[in-house]
Amino acid sequence: MVKTASVTDKPIQLRVFPYRMLQPQTAEKILNEIDQVKGVIRMLVSGKNLPRKVTCGPGTGADVNHPDRLIIHVGGCAFELHVIVGDIYVEVDDESAIEGVRTACERALPFPFELKRGHFIKRKPTLTDYGKYGFKSKIDESINLEDERMLGLTDPHAKLETNLCIVKSEENS
Amino acid sequence: MAYKPQYYPGNTSVAKNRRKHMSDDVEKLRDISDEDLTAILGHRAPGSDYPSTHPPLTEMGEPDCPVREVVEPTPGAAAGDRVRYSQFADSMYNAPAVPYWRSYHAAINFRGVDPGTLSGRQVNEMRERDLEEYTKRQAETEITDWGLAGLRGCTVHGHSLRLQEDGTMFDMLDRRRLEGGVIVMDKDQVGVPIDRKVNLGKPISESEAAKRTTIYRVDNVPFRSDKEVVEHVQRVWELRTKYGFQPKA
Repeated sequence: MVKTASVTDKPIQLRVFPYRMLQPQTAEKILNEIDQVKGVIRMLVSGKNLPRKVTCGPGTGADVNHPDRLIIHVGGCAFELHVIVGDIYVEVDDESAIEGVRTACERALPFPFELKRGHFIKRKPTLTDYGKYGFKSKIDESINLEDERMLGLTDPHAKLETNLCIVKSEENS
Repeated sequence: MAYKPQYYPGNTSVAKNRRKHMSDDVEKLRDISDEDLTAILGHRAPGSDYPSTHPPLTEMGEPDCPVREVVEPTPGAAAGDRVRYSQFADSMYNAPAVPYWRSYHAAINFRGVDPGTLSGRQVNEMRERDLEEYTKRQAETEITDWGLAGLRGCTVHGHSLRLQEDGTMFDMLDRRRLEGGVIVMDKDQVGVPIDRKVNLGKPISESEAAKRTTIYRVDNVPFRSDKEVVEHVQRVWELRTKYGFQPKA
């Protein structure tokens, strides 16, 4: 992945919409394939929640133990899937990466998918983000965040550690 | 000439399936034992007595009432069973049943039912032993394909989602899953683990589901391809509108 702050350039955002909900193995495969594409800045995995415990009804509190809630490895980074993967949002730095993402999806997915271009991930901080991170200083009113690529990847109220996976680029590692 | 009910118009496979569901002329596809069914419903322990909410009607000394004399109580009502529920969710991807047709099937062919029809699920309340008989009928026949449907007392989410890679409908609580080519269920309908793995049989194939479904879909049998049904629906709407029109004198 390249370390270009998304707010400084005008990156392109893509939505990969597979025709089936992905099993963890397929999700791992497609995320790794997309990670290999040159020009990918960040990815966002979206899907339906896989809760640890039953949260409503007479069975409240019982363990779910969903078999799809597994630890997967993407770009050498391990994280636990909290969702069954439905959509993958990808931000790339220019047009040339789009075909690469399409080819990566074709390699990884055994069924059809849609690839759409649009605005899917937050590109600049909102009031909620300023509320959470604040300004850099009294004279610098930019958001007090080291890497602005983190914006929009998680819910502002969620814990970053459990929801964000930072893959180091080769030159930084 | 004996009266023959006309359940639903249309000549397409979907219309024929709808008639089959309404008339209970459905094919039995699998066997589910009474104990397994009781376990997945989760209302009482398999093999235990039915808890009651009132004494049997014969012991209660009912008031003198002509209606009570005419209407024979269902076995559950006669025994004083509790009222319990079962709830199914059906995928929009060519599941054999839809909530409306589950309700029609229950209301036309069973007595003492209180069907609740929602967009993605169908709940039915009945006396406990009547409920088991009804649920067994729906669970064992072509009304239910356990890959594309699920018995879900709560957390029903999944009917409008894309199917999983293995072709089954998503279940957030993992009550039932595909294992070794068959659907197994090891939790009751509200997600509490049970002491057994209930075999619910093989899921039907994609092409078979397209033949057995009661859902009109543009990628299978489109609603507008069935002229008789369109005509019938338009007539019902027209008459409803006219009957609701009350000009002031």
